[in-house]
Amino acid sequence: MADLATNQSRVLRNADEAVREFLAFKLSGEYYAVALTRIREILSLPSLTPVPRAPADVIGVCSVRGLLVTVVDLRRRLHLEEPAPTRQTRILLAATEDDETIGLYVDEVRQVVRLAESEIEVAQSALGGELSDYVVGIGRPRDIRFTSGSSPGGDNILILLDLSTIVNR
Amino acid sequence: MAEGGDKAREEFLSEAQEIIESLSRSLLALDASLKAGTSDPSLINEAFRAVHTLKGLAGLFGAAKMGTLSHRLEDVLDGLRLGRMDLTPETLDILFNAVDVYGRILQVERDSLDDPLMIVDDLVGRLENFGAEDKEEMSPVVEYDLDPGMLAVLTEYEEHRLRTNIEQGLGLYRLRVQFELATIDKALDDIKERAKTHGEIITYLPTGETTSADTIELDLLMASRDDLATLIGSLGADNVVIEAIPRRGRPSRAPSQPLTTAPEARQISSMDAPSPSALDLADSSDVAAEPAGSLRSVAQTVRVDINKLDHLMNIVGELAIVRGSFSRLTERLRGEGQRQLAAELQRLHRNFDRRLAEMQDGILEVRMVPLGQVFDRLARVVRQISREVSKEIRLVITGAETEIDKLIVEELSDPLMHMIRNAIDHGIEGAEGRQAVGKPEAGTIALNAFQKGNHVMIEIEDDGAGIDDEALIAKAVSQGLVEAGEVPDLSRDEILAFVFLPGVSTRDEAGDYSGRGVGMDVVKTNISKLGGVIDVQSETGIGTKMTITLPITLAIVSALIIRVSRQLFAIPLNSVTEAIAFDESSVKIVDGREVMTIRGTTLPLCRLRKLFQFPQGQPDDKRRFVVVTSLGSRRLGLVVDHLLGQQDIVIKSLGKSLASVRGFAGATELGDQRVCLVLDPAALIEEVLVGVDTREDFARSNG
Repeated sequence: MADLATNQSRVLRNADEAVREFLAFKLSGEYYAVALTRIREILSLPSLTPVPRAPADVIGVCSVRGLLVTVVDLRRRLHLEEPAPTRQTRILLAATEDDETIGLYVDEVRQVVRLAESEIEVAQSALGGELSDYVVGIGRPRDIRFTSGSSPGGDNILILLDLSTIVNR
Repeated sequence: MAEGGDKAREEFLSEAQEIIESLSRSLLALDASLKAGTSDPSLINEAFRAVHTLKGLAGLFGAAKMGTLSHRLEDVLDGLRLGRMDLTPETLDILFNAVDVYGRILQVERDSLDDPLMIVDDLVGRLENFGAEDKEEMSPVVEYDLDPGMLAVLTEYEEHRLRTNIEQGLGLYRLRVQFELATIDKALDDIKERAKTHGEIITYLPTGETTSADTIELDLLMASRDDLATLIGSLGADNVVIEAIPRRGRPSRAPSQPLTTAPEARQISSMDAPSPSALDLADSSDVAAEPAGSLRSVAQTVRVDINKLDHLMNIVGELAIVRGSFSRLTERLRGEGQRQLAAELQRLHRNFDRRLAEMQDGILEVRMVPLGQVFDRLARVVRQISREVSKEIRLVITGAETEIDKLIVEELSDPLMHMIRNAIDHGIEGAEGRQAVGKPEAGTIALNAFQKGNHVMIEIEDDGAGIDDEALIAKAVSQGLVEAGEVPDLSRDEILAFVFLPGVSTRDEAGDYSGRGVGMDVVKTNISKLGGVIDVQSETGIGTKMTITLPITLAIVSALIIRVSRQLFAIPLNSVTEAIAFDESSVKIVDGREVMTIRGTTLPLCRLRKLFQFPQGQPDDKRRFVVVTSLGSRRLGLVVDHLLGQQDIVIKSLGKSLASVRGFAGATELGDQRVCLVLDPAALIEEVLVGVDTREDFARSNG
């Protein structure tokens, strides 16, 4: 069955279908992904300096080789639970539209995922509420399995986030 | 015109900018000398030279409009310096206008704007109507027994100067001087300068009779109102022989005079171009007449992108971090009993420290530019606005040589321009108004700059009507910024501070009172961004004075490192006056605000723990400190938990995503890779003393 599915997806992709690359990561047990083009670097957790009176989802600033980076906790932005940092915790350095480099706190980085248009479900209709501002779609990769905490063995989905809405608010 | 690469283009733009600024300076000086009724031919020459160089630059970079404009201006200035026309205020107006038009051309080039630059065509049209009236030419030169070889190579300008001097009855002298090739530029300038007290040097030519390989002999033709004996006494030296050129009995044949308008004749005369740039030489055909020594460029300067300096400064910052590791390593070695190694390392450390400090100072010094750069531009603005509104304004500038960080200078020009415009528009009364109160008809605006410790102060003072309190209060009350009932309790300073609130000084409704107009809140915001404060003083009927206090540099500062709760912060030392032990029992509540008394004066307090919403768990018996910060005349005591010491820091600004967070000037790295936030005392003083909250509420309710 699995082999069949994989072959099928290869066949589909050969048909000149546009394929986009995403970086998949874990936030509070669920899998999310952002367009890879916006990611500059992945860091292990540096020491963060909290900024008093900053917006609640800014967990601090850090220095990356002399460059001052504001680190945003995506879990807070998305109103998720906040597991304590582990050895897997990472900071994604992403470029904003006005060329600021911003850090995104994630619980774990998984891998780069290539998704064909047919594997992406545009989200507007699927979700309601605040989340829908950030979510551009749902990815349903055919040949990679993501086991999600809330639905083990269930839906194999990646929530695709729009970085520009997240960082530019 | 972007041929030749970005870098060359950048160079072109910045060089052109510099030349335009020097042109503007020459014109301002000409304006002043015209008003004083004197004339200095060297000023017209300077202007001519500037325009000429611009023409060359424009040619190189294919800036056609700039080329055409320069060409026309050159004609006009040439006419002026050759005495073919007289300098009138109208001519000057056109020339000043040209400075603005040049500015616009550069802007269009720099930002690749889509502007057909019709203003250039307009101006060129106006210039073409100029300079039609030629003067009758009479040559008394023939009366002198001048070397025909010398006469043959006189440029049109030199010839004009020669004629003018003879007409004014000055005598002609020949100075035969031996110059050292190595120092000829300086020596020549020197002798020209000294000659000025007696007359002027009209031209010079190599005699061709060289005595040694290292010297060159020149004949200098000089016109002087003093006699030979005086000249010998003043200019004579071992290497200088002075002779009077005898007058002939009667004029003979007309001498061969190069009265052409060929390019050579319009060439900058060698006598006033001591530092020919590559451009001048490139199209110069009379190089042969130049003394050999001046072929080498005497310019000792390089132009550097400020970002490169920032980069160097960052490296110095990183080195400072390395230095921190040195001292930790020294401590460790000492702890392990390696005394000798530790001592050696300590010595290296100290040496490194000293050199690093020198390097830091060196880079800072390079970033410094005189405020005169921006003041010159303001002088032009004053002239322009005063004509627009038909008020006579005298601008008095002092301290233009005061130096400040280049970045600050750049950011200053807009706020200063606003303030000057306000002073002229609303501060200075009309001519009748001034006469009625017995003030001189011309209003005075004084622009003063001076250094005070680590700060630069800039004052803009006018002798106008002053700020109308009543109108200001009415406006503030109508905007809901203050309750009418509170007004009697307000001090004059508090009332004057209203001019900086948004909505109060906007122009629409403010036109009916003679206060300040254009967006003083914007001015204040811009000054705060530079880490500065602005204060206002005003006396009704006497005038208004705005004082700006700025840090000398933004790049590196000494800071006091403090701890609040468990977090470290840095406070720039330039705004710290002292730090004292905090005594909880000395705190009084005045008007709902915590204050303490320090040496007989009241100091408002701000508890950083509370401001930053840190846990309040600290027991009261633990020693705490008050760091007294001040900016301008305002003081604020910051209550902190611990003082850790002093350190030089490089302040980096927080990203745009944190731009709305108040109270921080940025962040810096301390030795241990941790980021430490830098407090912004100006913003804290503002927030605590003036109460930004009211203002934000106001902005929200209006937004």
